[in-house]
Amino acid sequence: MAAENAEKTAPVISREGSTEIHAKTAGSKAVKIILITVSVLFLFVMLVMPLITVIYEAFRKGLAPYLEAISDPDTVSALLLTLEATVIAVVINTVFGLFAAWAISKFRFHGKKVLVTLIDLPVTVSPIIAGLIFVLTFGRQSVIYPFLESIDFMVVYAVPGIILATVFVTFPFISREILPVLDAQGTDEEEAAALMGAKGFTIFRRITLPHIKWALMYGIVLCAARAMGEFGAVSVLSGHLRGKTVTLPLQVEILFGDNKFMPAFAVSSILVVLAILILIVRSIVEYVGKRKKGENSQS
Amino acid sequence: MYIELRDINKSYGSFKASDNVNFGIEKGKLVALLGPSGSGKTTILRMIAGLEKPDSGEIEIDGRVVNGIPASERGIGFVFQSYALFRYMTVFDNIAFGLKVRRMNKAEINERVNGLIKLIGLEGFGKRYPSQLSGGQRQRVAFARALAPNPQVLLLDEPFAAIDAKVRQELRKWLKDMIHQLGVTGIFVTHDQDEAIEVSDEIIVTNKGRVDQTGTPIDIYRHPTTAFTSSFFGVTSELSDYMSFRSFDDIGEYDKAIVRPEFVKITKKNEFQKYKSSAVEGVVRDAQFRGNSIEVTVNCNNSTFSARRGLDEPAVEIGEKVDVFIYRIFVTHGDDVKLLKNNALREETVVI
Amino acid sequence: MKTNKRLIPGFGISMGITLALLSIMVLIPLASLVVFTAKMDLSDIIKVITRPRVVASFEVSLLTSFIASVINAVMGVILAWVLVRYDFPGKRILDGMIELPFALPTAVAGISLTSLYADTGWIGGLFADMGIKIAYTRVGITIALIFIGIPFVVRTVQPVLEKIDPLYEEAAGILGASRTRIFRKVILPELRPAVFTGFGLAFGRCLGEYGSVVFIAGNQPYETEITPLIIMSELQEYDYPSATAIALVMLAAAFLILFLVNLIQIGNSKILKGGH
Repeated sequence: MAAENAEKTAPVISREGSTEIHAKTAGSKAVKIILITVSVLFLFVMLVMPLITVIYEAFRKGLAPYLEAISDPDTVSALLLTLEATVIAVVINTVFGLFAAWAISKFRFHGKKVLVTLIDLPVTVSPIIAGLIFVLTFGRQSVIYPFLESIDFMVVYAVPGIILATVFVTFPFISREILPVLDAQGTDEEEAAALMGAKGFTIFRRITLPHIKWALMYGIVLCAARAMGEFGAVSVLSGHLRGKTVTLPLQVEILFGDNKFMPAFAVSSILVVLAILILIVRSIVEYVGKRKKGENSQS
Repeated sequence: MYIELRDINKSYGSFKASDNVNFGIEKGKLVALLGPSGSGKTTILRMIAGLEKPDSGEIEIDGRVVNGIPASERGIGFVFQSYALFRYMTVFDNIAFGLKVRRMNKAEINERVNGLIKLIGLEGFGKRYPSQLSGGQRQRVAFARALAPNPQVLLLDEPFAAIDAKVRQELRKWLKDMIHQLGVTGIFVTHDQDEAIEVSDEIIVTNKGRVDQTGTPIDIYRHPTTAFTSSFFGVTSELSDYMSFRSFDDIGEYDKAIVRPEFVKITKKNEFQKYKSSAVEGVVRDAQFRGNSIEVTVNCNNSTFSARRGLDEPAVEIGEKVDVFIYRIFVTHGDDVKLLKNNALREETVVI
Repeated sequence: MKTNKRLIPGFGISMGITLALLSIMVLIPLASLVVFTAKMDLSDIIKVITRPRVVASFEVSLLTSFIASVINAVMGVILAWVLVRYDFPGKRILDGMIELPFALPTAVAGISLTSLYADTGWIGGLFADMGIKIAYTRVGITIALIFIGIPFVVRTVQPVLEKIDPLYEEAAGILGASRTRIFRKVILPELRPAVFTGFGLAFGRCLGEYGSVVFIAGNQPYETEITPLIIMSELQEYDYPSATAIALVMLAAAFLILFLVNLIQIGNSKILKGGH
């Protein structure tokens, strides 16, 4: 705690006294202007223009065709499926993230590093490979396929496959955000509480949760964003059955492939709005979280 | 004995943290576990608390063996070195936590917590968060939190380590008074001998996982029984060959000859020195003002050690030749220690 | 030494839930990949991955990912520098925007970049006048991959840059070093591990990227066909052995990159902490 504080505050304190040198290394005004211009231009071309394109193309033919495009039954059912997969992914990964982070940060056991690596694995493999491994596990050539068929539970080219793929690609998102916070916090407070006879859930709710609140929210936001937009893995497992196994990103792909550009961008615009919302929430969560942390660590 | 440890052993891998530890503590005493880092003192404290389990041996508190009893049911309060205050709870909630866990009713909790806040002198701070307190205040809150459920034993892990020197002094006295006033049995861990001497009723010296010596502070200071305690306590210097100083008995083989500043008398050549015949000549290497005395370091018979001179005595200068008389020497051999008195003193008693 | 299994409750249940979910979601699916691979012949695997079309896809994927990651490494350092060291209006928005490629679904990015860089698009049109095609070429793929990789280097370099103690720069400044010299000799060495880490992460992500690339790539065999797309088409033809064989190569590449990134981080912490 003390070391953490020292690390956080020291640069701030010393920075004030050294603005001159900083300005010196930061360079002359010309360099500053050039670098800012380059950055702004780069981000404008790479990030902003694609967004403008989406909105422009979506409303190119006016509001009525836009509304018509986004109220298309296939699009609506795609939206519902996306929400379903997203909610399930967030719930499962939150449960997983909390328990995994608790186990990893509060106890010592062998193979901890291996466990952490395995949890992180899903984000390091290509989404296509993620899809592939579920096809191999549940598809026609799998050993459990006859069993799945007998109970009429289809995974590949069906909704369960889409949900599995979505959970998989977002698997570590929440544990990853919580873990560093819990690690930095240590186990002192929990030990003290346990020593006074508090039970597991009480310790978690009263002692641990306040520490990880913001990290947890941030993790949920990231998880939701990624779950909503997942394309590759879902694409492998979906089979593209319109109105049944098509999520919003897949609907975009289908429409674009059919040369229905305007509707494709109209559907995309929903996702763009959601993405921007997520970025705003992320900024707020991060800002408030940092401020809280600042308040709590000043002595 | 109120608390008793019998044949306690504990290892972490190949590291032996406790090696056949035995001791007992009387009710109401404030005891210091003193030793250098890695000596196993914290492990002992944590085993008494139930934070660690001994590999073998028994721990008894108030007549019952507590080995199988979880930490929360041992009737102990624990003050962590870092305090481990709940950072997201107010001072009030921190102190109340242990009571809430015990499902005490609200009115009782309020009364008890407010009483404790008053006891620790932090009235009006109940709504503050730990981050808004000074180090000393945090320590008091940790103390109150540990005391809230009325424990019979209070365990403190390096309670003053995180506090700056000035406040530390004040808190030491406060803690000592408080524990005696409340009548609980206290054990605290420290690596600071001054702290142990000043605060505790009794000291348990630990070294390399073993209990080296137990006794009152004055006892241990005056009569160290092991080589370790004799060199650990006080400001000590080693003499390269004690027989080169007049007039000590030759005990034959030995490892170290240790002197403390108060064992040494330095006098200027023109000053009166009663035992001049037993003094040897030394050269002043350094003289430092220490607030209430002057610490004089001398080089004498190939050894360097120091002594104190009063502020009212004539000043000595660096390079000055002085008379050095040594009253006592601790001589260690293996684990044993012998106190050698200068024979000049004995002769005098015989004469008189 | 400080933690005690028995004191803090919940080890059994949290470990149980963690391992159960990990098994269902990650271990069993991965095991099925291993089982499926074990049933295949090594010679068959080699035959599949040495097919000219597959080899060409490796080349396309590696080349475009590499170029995109290098560009992102350079731009990432500039962006991090601008965001940490300068103050200007709109900085917070710029900072928030960096994360957009994480938040925006890749399919949306894909179709949007495609229409932007197509010959009829706003940017593609400008280049088309000069006779340069972007969409449906390797340049198009690279642009999609730059988009995907932007956040990685910025977000690894930014915290390091924030933490660099100005004292070092002051010290160098007092010693009379020039601005560029301070940057090269004092700041850059501090940033280097972070830049490599960010580069590695971006590179790994680019190799596996599918959604944003398929639309703009044109998917011409031997020319603009990326490896993930080949796996996808094998899967659509139910040729699981071929898909698996190619996937193994990609997995190997991903792990190699991850390994190198870890190596850099370990090496760096050795310098800073002197061992362990």
